[in-house]
Amino acid sequence: MSSVFSQYAWLVPAFPVAAFAILTALGRSLSRAGAVIATIASLASFILSLIIAIERIGQNAEDYVGGIDWLRTGAVNISAGYEVTNLTSLMLVVVTLVALLVNLYSFGYMAGDGRISVFYAYVALFTASMLGLVLADNLAILYICWELVGVCSFLLIGFWYQKPEARAAAKKAFIVTRVGDLGLLIAILLLFWYMPGHALDFASIHNVFDTQSGIVSMSITTLIALLIFVGAVGKSGQFPLHVWLPDAMEGPTPISALIHAATMVAAGVFLVVRTFDIFEASSAAMTVVAVIGAFTAIFAATIGLAQNDIKRILAYSTVSQLGYMMLALGVGSVSAAMFHLFTHAFFKALLFLGAGSVIHAIHTQDIREMGGLGRRMKVTAWTFGIGALALSGIPPFSGFWSKEAILTAALEGDHPWLFIVGVVTAFFTALYMARLFFLAFAGKPRGNAEQAAHAKESPAVMTIPMIVLAALAVVSGFVQTPFKDWLGEWLTGEASSHGASGLVLVASIAASLLGLYLGWLAFVRGTLRPDAVSSRLPWLSRLLERKYYIDELYQLVFAGGLRGLGRALAVFDEAVVDGAVRLTGYSVRALGRLNTKLQNGQIQTYGLAAILAAVILVLAIAGRRFW
Amino acid sequence: MIQTNTLTWSDTWYMAPELALVVATLVLAALDLALPRRTNRDWIGWGALAGLVAAGVFVGWHIHDLRSAAGAGEQTYHSLLGGSYRIDDFGNLLKLIFLGASALLVLASLGTVKREDVPIKGEFYYLFLPAVVGAMVMASSADLITLFLGMELLGITSYILVGVRKRTGVSGEAAFKYVVTGGTASAFILYGMSFLYGLTGSTNLGAIRGALGGAAADSRALIYAAFFLLIVGFALKLALAPFHAWAPDVYQGAPTPVTSFLAVVAKGAVFAMAYRLFLNTAYFQTDDSRLRGDVFLALAVLAAAAMIVGIAGALKQQSAKRLLALSGVANAGVLLVPLALDVTDLHASLFSEFLYYFIAYVFMNVGAFAVLTVILRDAGSDKLSAFAGLYHRAPWTAVAMTALLCSLAGLPITGGFFGKLFILFASVQTKAYWLAAILLATTVVSYYVYFSFIRQMYMRTGDTDGKVAVPVPAGIVIWLSAAATVALGLAPKPVLDWVGGVYSLAVDFVAR
Repeated sequence: MSSVFSQYAWLVPAFPVAAFAILTALGRSLSRAGAVIATIASLASFILSLIIAIERIGQNAEDYVGGIDWLRTGAVNISAGYEVTNLTSLMLVVVTLVALLVNLYSFGYMAGDGRISVFYAYVALFTASMLGLVLADNLAILYICWELVGVCSFLLIGFWYQKPEARAAAKKAFIVTRVGDLGLLIAILLLFWYMPGHALDFASIHNVFDTQSGIVSMSITTLIALLIFVGAVGKSGQFPLHVWLPDAMEGPTPISALIHAATMVAAGVFLVVRTFDIFEASSAAMTVVAVIGAFTAIFAATIGLAQNDIKRILAYSTVSQLGYMMLALGVGSVSAAMFHLFTHAFFKALLFLGAGSVIHAIHTQDIREMGGLGRRMKVTAWTFGIGALALSGIPPFSGFWSKEAILTAALEGDHPWLFIVGVVTAFFTALYMARLFFLAFAGKPRGNAEQAAHAKESPAVMTIPMIVLAALAVVSGFVQTPFKDWLGEWLTGEASSHGASGLVLVASIAASLLGLYLGWLAFVRGTLRPDAVSSRLPWLSRLLERKYYIDELYQLVFAGGLRGLGRALAVFDEAVVDGAVRLTGYSVRALGRLNTKLQNGQIQTYGLAAILAAVILVLAIAGRRFW
Repeated sequence: MIQTNTLTWSDTWYMAPELALVVATLVLAALDLALPRRTNRDWIGWGALAGLVAAGVFVGWHIHDLRSAAGAGEQTYHSLLGGSYRIDDFGNLLKLIFLGASALLVLASLGTVKREDVPIKGEFYYLFLPAVVGAMVMASSADLITLFLGMELLGITSYILVGVRKRTGVSGEAAFKYVVTGGTASAFILYGMSFLYGLTGSTNLGAIRGALGGAAADSRALIYAAFFLLIVGFALKLALAPFHAWAPDVYQGAPTPVTSFLAVVAKGAVFAMAYRLFLNTAYFQTDDSRLRGDVFLALAVLAAAAMIVGIAGALKQQSAKRLLALSGVANAGVLLVPLALDVTDLHASLFSEFLYYFIAYVFMNVGAFAVLTVILRDAGSDKLSAFAGLYHRAPWTAVAMTALLCSLAGLPITGGFFGKLFILFASVQTKAYWLAAILLATTVVSYYVYFSFIRQMYMRTGDTDGKVAVPVPAGIVIWLSAAATVALGLAPKPVLDWVGGVYSLAVDFVAR
C-alpha cells in the first residue's frame, strides 16, 4: 500500500529550518516570542512525524524515496533525497517528540537567560539537521547532516561560553568527534570508489552488500565497515573516543537530554543500522562492533559508580547504554538495538530533565550536597525514580524489555561471554542508579541551608515534559516483549524467533535487583558502609574516580606526543615551509608593488607596458617557431 | 563577388531585439530634448528599462522559436544579411544576459544617481541602449566587419558614458584614457582582421576558416601575425594583465553604474566576440599542429597572467572600485580559461563552463557594484573604510554583500564556487595542470582580498552609527543578485541543463 503522508516527510525538517531562519533573522528582538515560534515548529514536526508513523503501522507500507537531483556532472551524481521507511519513521517520532518536550522544558529552564532566542535557534538547527540525518537517502547527505549536528552540538555545549570549562568541553567534543568523522569520510570515499556507478544511496548499498556479495572484495568490505564504525564510535561516545561525552555536560541540561542522551549520540547506532548490510557482510567487523560495545558498556558503568556529579553519572550511563546497543548490533540484532535506542531515548531524556530540575532548584550538581529532595520535589522525585527503574532494568519498565532483548540476542547468537558482560553491566547500572537516587532524593539534606531553602518543585512547564516521558518510560517497553515481537517485525519485516528465555529473564532481573538492594543497604539503611570498598582497595576507587586515567593518558600520549612532534615539525616549518611561504608572500607583494608602479596614472606608461608585453608574448610563443 | 545585403522585411523580425532598442533610444532622445528642464529625468530611466525588457522579451521569443525548430528537426539558426549576422543560441543566451544585466544596472541607478553628479541624466540613461545594441551585435555577428562595427558602437557609447560626470576631473580623465586605450585596442584588432582578410579574401568567419588551411602552408608568419595582433587587441579590451593598467583608472573615474556596465556587459561582449572569432577561425585544418596550439597557448598564458596580477594588485587596494576593477582583471582570466583550453573530444563543454561562470560573474558584480553605489551615496567615498560597521548600519545589505563576496571568492555554496569548480575540472580533464594550479592558488589568495570587505563590515566600527539609506530599486537589485548567486550554488543543475540543452557547439558556433 502506498503511504500518502510519507511523501511530505521533507516537511518534517523544514519546520525547524524555518524556525531557525526566523529566529536568526529577527534575533535579538524576539526573546521569548522566539521560543514560542521554535516550539510551535517542533510541534508541527512532531504531529507530521506521528501521522507518517501511524500511517505505516499495521500495513505493509512501501518505502518511499523522494528528492531532487542536486548535482550531476559526468559520473558524479549527488541527489538531495529522503527516504521514509519504518525505521526512519520511528526515528522521526523519537527525535521530534524529545525535541518538542525539550523545547517546552527549556521555557522554564532557560527563562532567565538573555540569549534564549539564540539557544532556541541552535536547538531548531540541531533538530533540523538530526531529522535530515535520519531522512537522508544517501551517505553524502547523511554526512552533511552528520557534520551539522556536530556543529550544533559544539555550539550548544559552549553555549555558556563565559565559562572556561564550557569552552574547553566544546572544543574537546568537536576535536574528538572529528577523529570519528574522518573515519566516516574515508569510508564514504572508499564506498564511492568501489560501488558500481559510484552510488552512495542506501538502497544500492543494500543491493550490493546483501544480495550481490562479491562485487566488493572481503578485505575492502571489512575496511569500510570498520571505518564507518569509527565514525559511529566518535558520535556515540564508544571506547576509546568516549572522553568527550562526559565533558559535554557543561552545556545546558536540556541540551544534554536532547543531544547527548536521546538523539545525536544515538546517530552512531543509527548509522550502523543504516549500513548494516556492510557489517553483516564481514564477520570480523561484527565481532569488533560487539566487543567494543560490550567493553564500553561495562567500562563506563564502572566509572559511573565513582562519580559525584549528577550529570556525569548520567553521561557515563549513556555511554554504557550506547555500548549495549552496539553490542546488540554486533551480535546481529538490529531490532534489539533499535528497541533499546527507542526506550533509552525516553528514559534517559527523562533522567536528564529530572537532573536539570534538581540543578535548577538547588544550583549544584554534586550529589554529595543533595539529599532529602524527595520530600520537597515530589514530581521530580517520582518521575526520576521511574526513569531510574527503567534504566536499571526492573520489570515492567521499558528498559527491562529492551535490555532483555539485547541479552537474549547475545545468548542466542552464541556469545556467552558477551551475555555475562551484559548481565554484570546490568548489575552495575542498577547499583549506580540506586546510589544516585538515594543520595539525591532520600535521607536528609546535606547541602547548606540556603540550598535546602531553595529546594522546591520546578514550574509546570518543566514537570509536564517529565511526566510525559515518565509515562513513556513505563509503557514504551511493551511494543516488544518476549511474548509479542511487534516492533522487530515492523522494523525488519520478519518475525524473529526469540521467545521467552528463562535464563535471561532470571539473570537480568536478579542482577538488577541485587544492584538496587546493595544500593539500598549502602545508602539508605547504612548496614553496608559505602566506603567499605574504597577503604580497602583505595587504588580501585581512585582508578574509577579518575575514569581509568584515560584523559590523562590521552593528554600524555596525544597532547604530549603531538607537542613533541609539533616541536620537531616547527623547526622544519620555520626553516622550509615558512621560508617558502615568506617567499610566496614576498613575491606576491612584490608583484603588487610592481603593479602599483605600473599604475602611475600616466597613459603613456600603460601603452609602453602593453607594447612591451605584446612583444614578449609574440617572441616567447610565436618567435620560437621561427628560430 | 558583391552580394546585396539589404535588410528585408522578413529579417526585421529576427532583428527585433536590436531594433526595439534603437527605436527606444530615438524616442527617449527626442523626449529628453522635448521635456522641460525641470522634469525629473528618472522617467527616461524607466523608459530605458522598458526598452531593455521589451528587447529581452523578443530574445526570449527567439530562443523559444529555435527550441521548437530543434524539436521539429529543423535548422536551429538563422543567417541574415548575406551570412554576416546570425540568430543562434550562442548569441541569444548572451544577449539575454546583457539585457538582464543592463536592466539591473539601470534599475540600481534609479534613485542613486544625483543630478549634481551627473548633469546630463537623460543621456546617461538612454545611452545604455545603443551600447547594449553594440554588445548584441558583437554576440550575433559572423563577419569581421559587423563584429568590428558592434565593438565600435559599444566602445564609443561607453566612452561617453564614462565621461558623463562632466564636472568631475577624474571622470574626464577616465574617459580620455578609455578613448586612447579603446582606440589602441581597436587598431590592433583591425590590423589583425586585415591580415585575416588578406590571407583568405573574405570577411566571413566560415569562409576564413575554410581558406586558412590552405594559407597556412605558405604564409605561416602572416597567420601568426594575424592571430597575435587579435590576441593583443582583445587582451587590451578585456584588461588582461599586463594590458590592464587602464582599467582601475577608468573604473574609478566612471559613475558606478557605468563601471558595472564596463565590468559586466562590455567585458562580456568582448568575450562573446573573442569566443566566436577564435572558435571559428583558429580551428582551421592544417598540417602544422603547433600553429593552432600556439594560439591557444598564448591565450592560456594571458589568462594565467591576468589571474595572478589581478589578485596580487588587489591585495593592497584601499579603494573599493579599484579593488573590484582588479578583481575583474582576475575574473577575466578565469573566464578566458575555457577558451584557452582548446576544444578536444574531452572538452566540448567549454561554452557551458564559460556561460555558467559568466552568469555567476554578472550577478556578483552587478550586486557588489550596487552595494558600492549605496555606500558611495552615503559616505561619498569609495574607500574600503566606508564599509566599516555596515553590518550595524544596514544589516540586510551587509548580509547580501557577504553572499556576493563569498561568490567572488569562490566559496561554497555560491555560483562563483561552482563556476570555478567546473572550469577547474575542465583544466584537469584536458591535463592543463599548471593552469589549474594557478586557478587554485589565486583563488586562495583572493580570500584575503575579499575578506577585507568582511572585516570592515563586521569587525570595524564606522565613523557614524546612522542607518544607511538604501533606495528601494537598489535594494531590489542587491537582493536579487545575492539571491541569484546563492540559488546558482544551491541548484547548479538547472542552469547547466538549460545551457547544455539549448546550445550545441557544432551548430551554434561554426558559421556556415
